[in-house]
Amino acid sequence: MFGFFKKSKEVKIKSPIKGKIINLCEVEDEVFSSKIIGDGFAIKPVEGVVYSPVEGKVVQLFPTGHAIGIKTKEGLEILIHIGIDTVSMKGEGFTPYVKVDDKVNVGDKLISFDLELVRQKAKSDVVPVVITNMDVVSELKVDFKDSNVGDEVAYVKLK
Amino acid sequence: MVEAKIKINSQTGLHARPASLLVKEANKFKSNICLVKHDKEYNAKSIMSVMSMGATFGDEIIIRASGEDENEALNSLKSIIEALKD
Repeated sequence: MFGFFKKSKEVKIKSPIKGKIINLCEVEDEVFSSKIIGDGFAIKPVEGVVYSPVEGKVVQLFPTGHAIGIKTKEGLEILIHIGIDTVSMKGEGFTPYVKVDDKVNVGDKLISFDLELVRQKAKSDVVPVVITNMDVVSELKVDFKDSNVGDEVAYVKLK
Repeated sequence: MVEAKIKINSQTGLHARPASLLVKEANKFKSNICLVKHDKEYNAKSIMSVMSMGATFGDEIIIRASGEDENEALNSLKSIIEALKD
């Protein structure tokens, strides 16, 4: 019966995109840089494909396909937002490969996007990856580096 | 419980920036606050929940609040959504 009281859970977040992991405070949008939405990291992408950073379920995919939310079985909610002010592109250049309620594994292809088009049309091509329910998190460590898809880039300890 | 119907007049809908404004405001109140679209309820205090609603231009949604400060909550969220512009 003490099995329910296991020590706190942890989630390892893998890089969803090939690119440089940077601090959220460097993102040119205060919604992300001020961490109103939550904490995490951002990626300067070098490729236009987003893969799942965790195992979980798709809980939100905005109709424009420029952002996706995944909830892990531990209860962590992660938002991946492609570019800044990309909502105004109204879906142009974004192709989702999953839908809401789909189960996803680490490395599953989620969305592809036209990186050049985002660079031309949006304010920035940076991709914030944000934990939106920080109230369940006790510790977050991010490894700021150049990353390949699937590299471990963040460690999250849950309460 | 109080509720109000409201139309989304922002071209880009309730995504990151407006959603975060809304959630920040909703969390100031003690009442239980939901947004309803197509008969489905979404927690107005959770950013992921609000974004998962996928509310876009022209959508009609309902704000539903219940609790000791429900009237203030309803009025305040209503004015935030009404003021949304791109």
